[in-house]
Amino acid sequence: MQVGLKIWRYDAKTGDRALKEYEISAPEEATLLDCLDIVKDQHDGSLAYRKSCRMMICGSCGMRMDGGAVLACRTRMYDIAQAGHVPVISAMGNLPIVKDLVVDMEPFWHKMRSVDPYLQPRYDQAQERENVVQQKSMDVIHKESLCINCGCCVSECNSMESDPDFLGPAALAKGMRFVGDPRDGATIERLEKYSEAHGLWDCTRCYFCTERCPKGVDPRDAIAKLGAEAMKNGIDRDMGARHAKWFVTSAKTTGWLRETELVPKTQGIVASIKEIKFAMSLARKGKVPPPFPPHVAADVGESRALFDLVKAQGRDGALGIVQGEKALGRIEAHHEAAGGRDPYNEPDSAPRPFLPSEREGSEEAVSS
Amino acid sequence: MEAMHDVLVVGAGLAGMRAAIEAHDRGANVGVISKLHPTRSHSGAAEGGINAALGNAAEDSPEKHAFDTVKGSDYLGDQDAIEIFTREAPGDIYQLERWGAVFSRNDEGRLDQRPFGAAGSPRTVYAADITGHVLIQVLYEQLQKRMAEGMTVYEEFFAFRLVVEDGRCTGVISWDLLNGGVKLHTGKAVILATGGAGRIYRVTTNAYACTGDGMAMALRAGVPLKDMEFMQFHPTTMYPSGILITEGCRGEGGYLLNKEGERFMQRYAPNALELASRDVVSRSETTEIEAGRGIDGNVHLDLRHLGPEKILTKLPGSRELAMTYAGVDPIYAPIPVRPGAHYHMGGIETDSQGLSEVEGLYAAGECACVSVHGANRLGGNSLMETITFGRRSGQAAAEYALSVPGGNGSGEAARADAERWVKSILDNTEGERPWAIRDELGESMLENFGVFRRAEKMEAQIGIIEGLRERYDRGVVVEDKGNVFNSDLTQAIELGYLLDLASCMLQAGSVRTESRGAHSRPYDFPDRDDENFLKHSITRWVGDGPELSYREVRMTQWEPMERKY
Repeated sequence: MQVGLKIWRYDAKTGDRALKEYEISAPEEATLLDCLDIVKDQHDGSLAYRKSCRMMICGSCGMRMDGGAVLACRTRMYDIAQAGHVPVISAMGNLPIVKDLVVDMEPFWHKMRSVDPYLQPRYDQAQERENVVQQKSMDVIHKESLCINCGCCVSECNSMESDPDFLGPAALAKGMRFVGDPRDGATIERLEKYSEAHGLWDCTRCYFCTERCPKGVDPRDAIAKLGAEAMKNGIDRDMGARHAKWFVTSAKTTGWLRETELVPKTQGIVASIKEIKFAMSLARKGKVPPPFPPHVAADVGESRALFDLVKAQGRDGALGIVQGEKALGRIEAHHEAAGGRDPYNEPDSAPRPFLPSEREGSEEAVSS
Repeated sequence: MEAMHDVLVVGAGLAGMRAAIEAHDRGANVGVISKLHPTRSHSGAAEGGINAALGNAAEDSPEKHAFDTVKGSDYLGDQDAIEIFTREAPGDIYQLERWGAVFSRNDEGRLDQRPFGAAGSPRTVYAADITGHVLIQVLYEQLQKRMAEGMTVYEEFFAFRLVVEDGRCTGVISWDLLNGGVKLHTGKAVILATGGAGRIYRVTTNAYACTGDGMAMALRAGVPLKDMEFMQFHPTTMYPSGILITEGCRGEGGYLLNKEGERFMQRYAPNALELASRDVVSRSETTEIEAGRGIDGNVHLDLRHLGPEKILTKLPGSRELAMTYAGVDPIYAPIPVRPGAHYHMGGIETDSQGLSEVEGLYAAGECACVSVHGANRLGGNSLMETITFGRRSGQAAAEYALSVPGGNGSGEAARADAERWVKSILDNTEGERPWAIRDELGESMLENFGVFRRAEKMEAQIGIIEGLRERYDRGVVVEDKGNVFNSDLTQAIELGYLLDLASCMLQAGSVRTESRGAHSRPYDFPDRDDENFLKHSITRWVGDGPELSYREVRMTQWEPMERKY
């Protein structure tokens, strides 16, 4: 097939950027990575990009296609080429470009290192055998342990774009990998650390990381789990935590969000006083309901019952975060529920398996 | 000189990282040089699991593990090394778990173990079907901890030459990928852990990075390689990409079918069926395909009967790979697979401490040949080898480096020579681009030195490699003349490695007139010949090419027997 690519080239020496177009012929099964290889072999040997495993596990070939991060080896080109589309290929975002599609990953690794990314054992290390841990309690960190450090999430992180020091989705997911590990003994220290400035509460919940993760890690879920674990352990000084807490309190007490009190409860009284002028102008426009008496929903009992139910289920902390819609996700999502297809009775089903010895009159079948 | 260390480790996959951790923990100042960031190493692509006789799933013992390994090796494995290997494996697994490896658990909360090919007991510890990924993460976690304590990791430094002074290996010369320039690192001991050379073949499970750098560097530095003719063909690599589908699929109960739907393995391995050893299964598949019972040059790996639940929990990665690269959802349809180059049993000859013939030079992992795999490796034994022998070589190198008198060598002469050589490559503007040579090598090796080997094809292949070598030596053109991330340059150098190693493989293979393990000659020498060939081939680079000799296999308690599964 014929594949067209527009590639943002970046000359490290001069700092010049240029969008160059390439037209190549590639086999139908080609991925974006295969196409880049053809460009490099046969058109321009100076094209720079990282690659290694070509099977979605090494995490080398993160880059952007049409402005969104992808793993080049995971991106099949057939449909794109058939549609006559010429995608724009560029380096990942939020990381300095070194050359063409190669970014400097050091800021990424630096943030990884800053979450103390190694187990701090809770158990006695002198024991002879393995720690005994139930699979169910390891499942809490199943998605986080799938991360291949490709950087696609970081590339798309909106919060990091405005605050380059934000720890970011990959490092926080790595953090959750340890916070959720029953073998780790530094949960509180970790949660304190991750809750500091530029930490977990700075995520804006845009879900771009989850959307772009090629492995179904769902970093935003990981950040939500960290937040829930922090609250559970009383680590809630951050404005983000206080903001979330007020949502719970107001839902429990009135069944509504008590918006007027949200700002003082989140930012504190002193900071709120500075906002009075703004609040007054909102009030004039009818945007602020009077705080007293608080408006209580008619069926507030339902809201309170829900709160009690969740409490009784012990679903505070990471377990309370709804997980897995996309989990293994993303893949399971394509799986039609049982009762749909019969793998043996479709028009082009492969034949049903049998052993040679089950063949009628097949003595020689078993002998050799 | 960029830096001096006690121990230099080249390569940061599982073996390299494990060696570096051990050397550091024993007090050595360690530098790790890797052409990839450590977690990008191809160990991470290992899927099915890691073998140790824990006895968590059924009764097992290191002795049973050793026997299975000896038999699997077609009696070419060194039995003393195998006994050390299987004895120390369980302790190494427990340590990985205590470092935080996210292994799959059984109902009691202990490490689960699944059946694997040619194993007498379910002894393969695993993490779904991403075991390598989980291990590379846990070792990098431990590496990062030690980086804070002074270990240095030189990421994206492409090592291409060893410094050998007065018969001792004293350093490594590399090309700095991000910034350009020839760099010199010196060490009192050097551990090579650069992995395999599957890229010699067009259809391979191996990453682009698997170009045999360490083996070739050692070879050119006068270090002998061992058993180079033994390249394992994995029975289930996907069509058309050659991407690996784990043996764990068969361990979990998957079938291999020909086009009629027949589980043909019963005719070749009536007891073990799909779980015979890899050489046996790859030969059976090739026989079926050549007899016209294949499906477009493949056989089918059928998981349909396992059901969605098992596939989604035990084999999710394989499903993802099949869906992405073969357009097949294994819940509903079989995966087209065929044998593909997977693992080099051969490599740098070492003793059981990882020490090569040259003082100060150690090797571990796939680039080494201890040898525990002999003529055919068992699935799950390679990950274990990286850990156990990575640790052992790290320990031995640290002890040597900390006890050897005198400081680090100079290496400056070697660096100057390497700089001239790289400049000559970059300055060359006449000739062809390397890729055609690379593709012709890969295609011809597959055709002429694959699962089955014929005398006349091997002769032809020797000529083909000579021709490709001539073209390469005439000078290939590197179009990128810059310093920043010049992968055009490193790929051209890697091609030279592939050519070196291919000629070693062919020489050793063409004169081994028997069939043993992965070296199969059904047309002229279908049987194993213990009288003449129960011995390792040893290859040295002398003058312009490889020179062959032999070495005895070290036997302890197992006499060669007929091998049936």
